Amino acid sequence: MAAHTPAASRRRWGSTAAGVLVLGVMLFPLYWMLNTALQPESGLLQVDPVPGSLDLSGFSKAFGDQGGHLLTSLLVSFGAVAICLAVSAPAAYGLARFGLRGSRTIVFGTLITQMVPGIVIANALYNSYVDLGLVNSYFGLMLADASLGIPFSIVLMRSFMVSIPGEVIEAAEIDGAGPVRVFLRVVLPMSRNSLITSGLFAFLFSWSDFMFALTLNTTDDVKPITLGIYQYIGAHVGDWGAVMAASVLSAVPAAILLVLAQKYIAAGITGGSVK
Amino acid sequence: MTALPPVAAHRARGRSRGAATSFAAVSVLIAGAALTGCAQQRDSDVYTVMNSSTDETYHRWDAEAMARCGEQLGVRVEQQSVPASQVMTKALRMASSKSLPDIVQFDASEMPTFADAGGLVDLRSLGLATDDIPEGIVDFGSYKGTYYGAARSVNTLALFYNKDVLDEAGVPVPTTWDELRRTAKRLTEGNRYGLALSAGGAEDGVFQFTPFMWSNGGDETDLDSPRVVEALDYWKALLQDGSLSKSTVNWTQADVNDQFMAGNAAMMINGPWQVETLNTKKSLHWEIAQIPVPEAGADSVGPLGGAVLTVPRTGDTEREKTAGRIVACLASEKEQLTYALNSWMVPANEKAAAKWREEVPELDALADQVAAARSRTAKLGAGWSGVSLALQSAFQSALTGQSSETALQRAQQRATSGN
Amino acid sequence: MTTSTVTAPAPAKTSGKGAAPDPARQRLRRRLAQWGFVAPAVVFMLLFFGYPLVRNIVMSFQHYTPKTFFTGEAPFNGADNWSSVFQDALFGKALWHTLVFTAGSLLGQFCIGLALAVFFNRRFPLGGVLRSLILLPWLVPMVVSGIVWRRILDQDTGVLNTFLDTLGLGGQTPWLTSPDMALLSVILVNIWIGIPFNMVILYGGLQEIPKELYEAASLDGASGWRTFRSVTLPMLKPVITVVLVLGFMSTVKILDLILALTDGGPADATQTLGTLTYQNSFVELDFGAGAVVGNVLILISAVFAVFYLRANRTEGK
Repeated sequence: MAAHTPAASRRRWGSTAAGVLVLGVMLFPLYWMLNTALQPESGLLQVDPVPGSLDLSGFSKAFGDQGGHLLTSLLVSFGAVAICLAVSAPAAYGLARFGLRGSRTIVFGTLITQMVPGIVIANALYNSYVDLGLVNSYFGLMLADASLGIPFSIVLMRSFMVSIPGEVIEAAEIDGAGPVRVFLRVVLPMSRNSLITSGLFAFLFSWSDFMFALTLNTTDDVKPITLGIYQYIGAHVGDWGAVMAASVLSAVPAAILLVLAQKYIAAGITGGSVK
Repeated sequence: MTALPPVAAHRARGRSRGAATSFAAVSVLIAGAALTGCAQQRDSDVYTVMNSSTDETYHRWDAEAMARCGEQLGVRVEQQSVPASQVMTKALRMASSKSLPDIVQFDASEMPTFADAGGLVDLRSLGLATDDIPEGIVDFGSYKGTYYGAARSVNTLALFYNKDVLDEAGVPVPTTWDELRRTAKRLTEGNRYGLALSAGGAEDGVFQFTPFMWSNGGDETDLDSPRVVEALDYWKALLQDGSLSKSTVNWTQADVNDQFMAGNAAMMINGPWQVETLNTKKSLHWEIAQIPVPEAGADSVGPLGGAVLTVPRTGDTEREKTAGRIVACLASEKEQLTYALNSWMVPANEKAAAKWREEVPELDALADQVAAARSRTAKLGAGWSGVSLALQSAFQSALTGQSSETALQRAQQRATSGN
Repeated sequence: MTTSTVTAPAPAKTSGKGAAPDPARQRLRRRLAQWGFVAPAVVFMLLFFGYPLVRNIVMSFQHYTPKTFFTGEAPFNGADNWSSVFQDALFGKALWHTLVFTAGSLLGQFCIGLALAVFFNRRFPLGGVLRSLILLPWLVPMVVSGIVWRRILDQDTGVLNTFLDTLGLGGQTPWLTSPDMALLSVILVNIWIGIPFNMVILYGGLQEIPKELYEAASLDGASGWRTFRSVTLPMLKPVITVVLVLGFMSTVKILDLILALTDGGPADATQTLGTLTYQNSFVELDFGAGAVVGNVLILISAVFAVFYLRANRTEGK
């Protein structure tokens, strides 16, 4: 880095200041959420700009009530990510490499899936789920949530895998590796960034799902946090402090993942599509 | 990325094992789910009730009542609560997959739709008596003369007022529209509005409009009649006076309650289900009165609200009979009183209501209002939802600038063309 | 089998051990193995998207009422649902709102997202941390964003108007309560929600642009703006199309945000095709009409997708 003159350094810290300002504007609603959560007694209308004293009762209540639902959400989302990657990674490779007839149609099909409103899907799925005994099961919800990420992951990973040099794969084939081995040992490791990125997106889609959780369950056995929040936004009254605290809690696991995966995302998202 | 670097190749081995394990895990999961899926069967001693008691408190009260009734009848009663707006669609979906719960608690305005589709069992045929229930409330749970829904409690709207604010200003509680308008204007000051009500674009707003429409002699079958126009003009006048917040069109009834509790409104139109929350604020001294009427001496007609317990047609007559017994127990005089005292709503049963009045004299006005209240679906049955949508659009247009007459004419057209 | 000359030399490589088996069969096996990679995803998508789509199309030609759920009978009624939806004045309004909403949201999300991506693409202290934190709005459930924003935008007590008031900018803006403002406010909130997604993907694209191109441009003495136009934008084009296409498809069918913010009101000012299909199906329980509106939504997306693919193809030539 060449810029070490005082002027350049000042300019760089100026960028930091601007960045903080942008962040402040973008995160203000979240600050307001946290702020409300810390003033559970105030109702939502008399929230002070800064919490006077840290009242954590909203949090302890939310944690006590929603801890189990958070766990459910985690389990379902990780399951959905596993299914999503297991289905979409081979497909992405197949579409990128094999030049199968109909590849183009399939890619177009993944695009079409993005057009169907979620409510239409949830409605249609319900009856099939009943027939298959998947209602009220973790696995059923994982499958449905995985569907949210699959088309996106296929598109993302395919564009990445197209850019893997053919020589690498051919070299492995010469060594006697079959297509499955090539895929597992060569392609997947090289696609790490796009795998992580797809996984993260799949996780986020699944984490925020409300429609499937609502539609495909008829008992409270499998109740993720998005449904759990309804405990506070009832038909009769709203406990806003607890709602906000639960939302903050619900954002934490996803935020941790996001920060951990951050450095892979930039590299994983576009991969080959630019080249 | 150009070629596979040695490090990556080394790591590849470990990773591929990981991928292989995850493949295996998924296939095991699939097999497992398929097996458990087939094993899923209805437990013969477990009965399910679907309701909208997602609120923690209501859920608990219901759970307690169900436990008591279950014990009495030797069965287990389970509760499944879904957001209120989802009960109907969920029940319909379950009907199509033949997996209906044994009991569904519908909002009374939705029950006719389900009954009309042939989905409910006549409660009288299951042995439920209606002797102690006032006729109005039997009608409330009936569709085309058949009694499908047992109400445990009913509610309506009333005028809640902040006693301290009224005392300080030295004004009496308004009883007529003119008084309400004057009082509201007088009490509007600084950040505080004289009155808060909900004109939101959902059933909440329509629920709040009905007492004004009906007390003025208007009717839901004739939306563009001068009576309805007058009622809407009255709302417009309150807004033009500045006595109502412009946000009224965006508020639900829960928002209205928040405003009242925060001291942003001196009076509000709301229902008894808010009492539980209102009482959490000790410094707030509120009381209730009947909703003011157009002219002194006129009847204050409010909307009858509440939920009814129904037994959906599952085809299993034995289970339906037991479900009927559970409903009878949940709607018994004793349980009604317990539920009503918890939730601050008025018991449907006459005897229970009399006892309730003794216990909560401060809500007397509400009990009177309930006695005169009217059901939204009495005239239109399953057609209510279309009229309700048209009406929402009309009062929102009128409150945001259009003339009441034009807005209601359009609503009437929309309502009739939709049917 | 015949001993015809084999054109594909490839099998010789892969058949590591034993005598060379029949090449035609082997090619078939190879094809099958290759399809094995793709098949699970295809089956999955057919079940989870294809089936609902077909069902929705069929439903739009049926008289589908609450009774249908019990009897299973939904007689076909030709184009009745379609004509009744098209005659509804609300449909035209909702269609227009949908287009305005989608165009406005995309424009805002994309421009701000791109600006932020370019901004964070420079190196400065704490840049990485700030960049990750800006993704946080994405993680909040839509129901909750809706509630928080509704409070922030409240005309009398909302913190936004209070803030504008202290600045002397008139704190009485009827963000959600005036039919003229509501759609704009909903667009603004949706832009807020969409910025992180746009920024992440565009930032990823920027990272891929070789640094040498910039160096060459600066040697040529190109200004910042010229470099952006002649280097950054062209190099970013494929990513931009991906962002816009995905953004379009998720924006055009938006539902939960609007339900949480305005419920389609005031006076239907924020009624879109998404809320209309919800209202038709689940409030009025007119499932045929709801399906029609849903299909119109899908059709709009499909038209957009075809344009996108055509543009892509001509570019590839």
